[in-house]
Amino acid sequence: MNKNYASILIFTVMLTLLLSGCGAGNSASDSSNESESASGNVTLTYGLWDQVQQPAMEKIIAKFEEQHPDIHVEIKLTPWNEYWTKLETAATGGNLPDVFWINGASLPKYASNNQLLNLDDYAKDTSLDFGNYPQGLVDIYTYDGKHYGVPKDMDAIGLWYNKSLFDQAGIPYPDETWDWNKAVEAAQKLTDPANGIWGLPAQFQGQTGYYNTILEAGGGFYTDDGKKSLYDSPESIRGLQLQTDLIHKYKVSPTLAQMTDTSPKDLFRSGKVAMLIDGSWNVKDFATNEYTKNNVDVALLPKDKLRTSVIHGLANVGAANTKHPKEVIEFLDFLGSKESADIQGEDGTALPAFHGGQELWLKSVPQFHLQNLLDMANAAKALPRGPQNAKLDGLEEEYLKSAYTGESTPEEAAKAYAKAVNEAIASNP
Amino acid sequence: MTTVTHAKQKRRFQPMIIHIVLMVGSFLMVVPVLWSLLTSLKAPDEVTRIPITILPGQPHWDNFQKVADLLPFMTFYWNTIVTTLVKVLFGLLFSSLAAYAFARIHFPGRTLLFLLVLSVMMVPGQVFLIPQYLLMKDLGWLNSLKAITVTGMFSAYSTFLLRQFFLGLPSELEESARIDGCNPFRIYWNIMLPLAKPGLISVAIISTLWSWNDFLWPLVVNDSMDKMTLAVGLASLQGQFTTNYPVLMAGMLLAVWPMILIFFLLQKQFIEGITLGGLKG
Amino acid sequence: MNAKQPSSINAKRSKLKRREYGWGYAMVFPLLFGMSALFIWPVLRTIYLSFTEWSDFGNYHWTGLSNYIRLLRDTAVYHSLLHTLQYVIIYVPAIVILSTLAGVLLSSKVRGISVYRTIFFLPSVLMPAAIAMSWKWILNGDYGLLNAGLKLLSIHGVSWLTDSRTVLIAVVGVAVWGAVGLQAVIIISGIKGISPMLYEAASIEGAGRVSQFFRITLPLITPTLFFVSVTSLIGAMQVFDLIYMMVGTVAIDHVNTVVYLFYQQAFIKNDKGYASSIAVLLFIMILIVTALQFKLQKRWVHYD
Repeated sequence: MNKNYASILIFTVMLTLLLSGCGAGNSASDSSNESESASGNVTLTYGLWDQVQQPAMEKIIAKFEEQHPDIHVEIKLTPWNEYWTKLETAATGGNLPDVFWINGASLPKYASNNQLLNLDDYAKDTSLDFGNYPQGLVDIYTYDGKHYGVPKDMDAIGLWYNKSLFDQAGIPYPDETWDWNKAVEAAQKLTDPANGIWGLPAQFQGQTGYYNTILEAGGGFYTDDGKKSLYDSPESIRGLQLQTDLIHKYKVSPTLAQMTDTSPKDLFRSGKVAMLIDGSWNVKDFATNEYTKNNVDVALLPKDKLRTSVIHGLANVGAANTKHPKEVIEFLDFLGSKESADIQGEDGTALPAFHGGQELWLKSVPQFHLQNLLDMANAAKALPRGPQNAKLDGLEEEYLKSAYTGESTPEEAAKAYAKAVNEAIASNP
Repeated sequence: MTTVTHAKQKRRFQPMIIHIVLMVGSFLMVVPVLWSLLTSLKAPDEVTRIPITILPGQPHWDNFQKVADLLPFMTFYWNTIVTTLVKVLFGLLFSSLAAYAFARIHFPGRTLLFLLVLSVMMVPGQVFLIPQYLLMKDLGWLNSLKAITVTGMFSAYSTFLLRQFFLGLPSELEESARIDGCNPFRIYWNIMLPLAKPGLISVAIISTLWSWNDFLWPLVVNDSMDKMTLAVGLASLQGQFTTNYPVLMAGMLLAVWPMILIFFLLQKQFIEGITLGGLKG
Repeated sequence: MNAKQPSSINAKRSKLKRREYGWGYAMVFPLLFGMSALFIWPVLRTIYLSFTEWSDFGNYHWTGLSNYIRLLRDTAVYHSLLHTLQYVIIYVPAIVILSTLAGVLLSSKVRGISVYRTIFFLPSVLMPAAIAMSWKWILNGDYGLLNAGLKLLSIHGVSWLTDSRTVLIAVVGVAVWGAVGLQAVIIISGIKGISPMLYEAASIEGAGRVSQFFRITLPLITPTLFFVSVTSLIGAMQVFDLIYMMVGTVAIDHVNTVVYLFYQQAFIKNDKGYASSIAVLLFIMILIVTALQFKLQKRWVHYD
């Protein structure tokens, strides 16, 4: 009997050993990081999500490593769709990359939980000067009065248009004289249902849609104290209506359902859309696409009460618990320099945020009038940032959608949304 | 005589029906797959062209070259093969052991423990992400193939499938072995495992597939290029605003052909039903 | 004397029994050991978290039942339950019937069966992103392959993935398409687990193929069918990925399921406590349905 129990025990122990021993051979190369730092060198990890920008980032790193032979930077690329899930998991495990990309929407979450390096603590060790970047961007990455991010690039919004379709219709290209009436008039002439051509789609998105027209109509998003929504103001309602009228009143835009099925940008790329409000991030794509390469250009947005747009941009941030804060700051310092702005500009994928660092970017695609995008950026305002309040997330899409589907008027939708926002803020101050 | 020809006709007729039904099914199965294949041969802007173009204007075979240049495929293959092999073999061992015990040994608490195993399938998979990550961190296993592998070795799904399989097998053989004084492990190993071969093959196929295409966990737990598996490596080809779909599709086809081959070879094992050594029938 | 013998037999029997129990525990131990750390512990943790309010990165405080009270009042929860139910009701019968049919046909001995099996298996090897992309083009309203085909039959197709009437059917269709090959593999293994002698005996008795199917194949693969129906049901109640990738803004209100809601709360709104209570709700529902299936199996599943 004892024998039997013993064999059960041995069997169990064996399995446990198998289990814990499996793959032990794989760990040999894990320790490369530590061994490097032991010999006086430091390896920083750099988290980012856009594979398209990786080559430019590699060039920047090469330059940086040239100047700092004792620091090595390793890119950790996570695709956009999984970037935030992974970042959050890593942060929960206290394991963030030393330096990483962040966007405006995620900054408050990471800054308020002390996950990010406060750049002001190191201000005297660096040549970082936040005056080098557009104030709107610096504000996005400031939390409780402290600087956390070094602006990397900016997303300017402009009016992309198809030159061939304009030529065929005999309409002059959009220019600085255009207001929304003129844009709608042109869009109506350009729309050609028989050939499936749309004049001006109203994309159901803030950044490439109603944020811009709301600001242009003189409206806003939140009161200065962040306590109330401004969506129910007549100006904001008008801004929303400028968009939805394109669908319902003028019929120069596909319906929301059609746009969900086939994105306006794909239609634009195939010559089926005459005008498209979209961002500077498309420059390289449009410049390489067989069709758009020679057939499209970019203009200023049509003005309403004023001419403006929203601006957003990414920033580079450092992890609060990095083992090498000094090196992280040196790297951030370099990422925020004119030198690295020039490398980005030359590559053409992203519009550098550094003042005066955009010349090379402007020249990167000579056939497009990129100056128009830069002018829009210079006249732009920051993306709306409401109070930190989980109850606000998703409300915007939920309420404004009905104005796009036509289930309610822009006025009804905007007022209902404003009411929901005010209630959410009041219930959770 | 008439009955003989009738039977002959029937014998030829039935396979015909089977062929026709299977061909229709195959057509439905293959159209979207063909679409992926055709996409891999297109130029990037052909993919989003409207109206949709079905055939590539000019086949771009260089997409395959491009993706092979872009990613270290040999490393990815190696990591994927190693992790899959370990996961499948240990998975088969652990789940068949437990499945046999759950099916045949009436130990106290058996129902409760089985329920506990099943309950793991009843919560959304994302629930496991952060706790497993923290565990790997505590073990110091982050960025290792161990971490990618270990979570795939314990499968409620496989255990449940094999338990059903064992339950369906006749118990006479076991009885006689037990009378001969075999212990349960010997019965499991020498008698029941060989009988459960079809079940083991289907578990092997399914777990190979899952391991090969496993995505979120290897992505979260590892961030060094030399530990990446195929599915994770490929995803890095997706940009935020633009993705070169033809190159991505070409990469996917390069990543999955071994799976198709493995399936083709494994399914050939489904030939005859089991033989029970004259005990039943 | 007479009284002593049975008790010694009993003692011997109980010793044997205990030894067998020991083996039982030892054989489930490796699985349970790994599972406890990797899976069961996270499940327990989720249950615990459902009673807390979570602020970011692992800080939380106990809030008692408040998440559950919110759950009961949240209309989004009822909508998602309804959509999940609708999905389950269409998906589960479809996949069980179609994969049984495919499994039976794919285990017949006709020429080229390996090729057929491999073709049916193809959808399972594709990346979900590729599946979603291909099907989005096929189902596209204005330019899709399906509607182009329907046009030849003079049928005017709708925009399958944005029309509230068709979006659910479209998603179920793609899900069945993607899963049927793999489920068929399981059915095939069930069929191949049947002793050929049974068929020989039946054909000696003069039973035809159809009668063999109903008298032998079907009853003997019921354990496998039971597995397929339980796991398909569990999978269907957790449907998420496909919907997330295929359905855009407009129609999402008609198909957002429980796990979609969970994902939204956990990773987009970052309300992990509330998300956990949704997960627990789902867990309890699946547990009940599964337990019911186990109870009902006595009526139709034949073990040996």
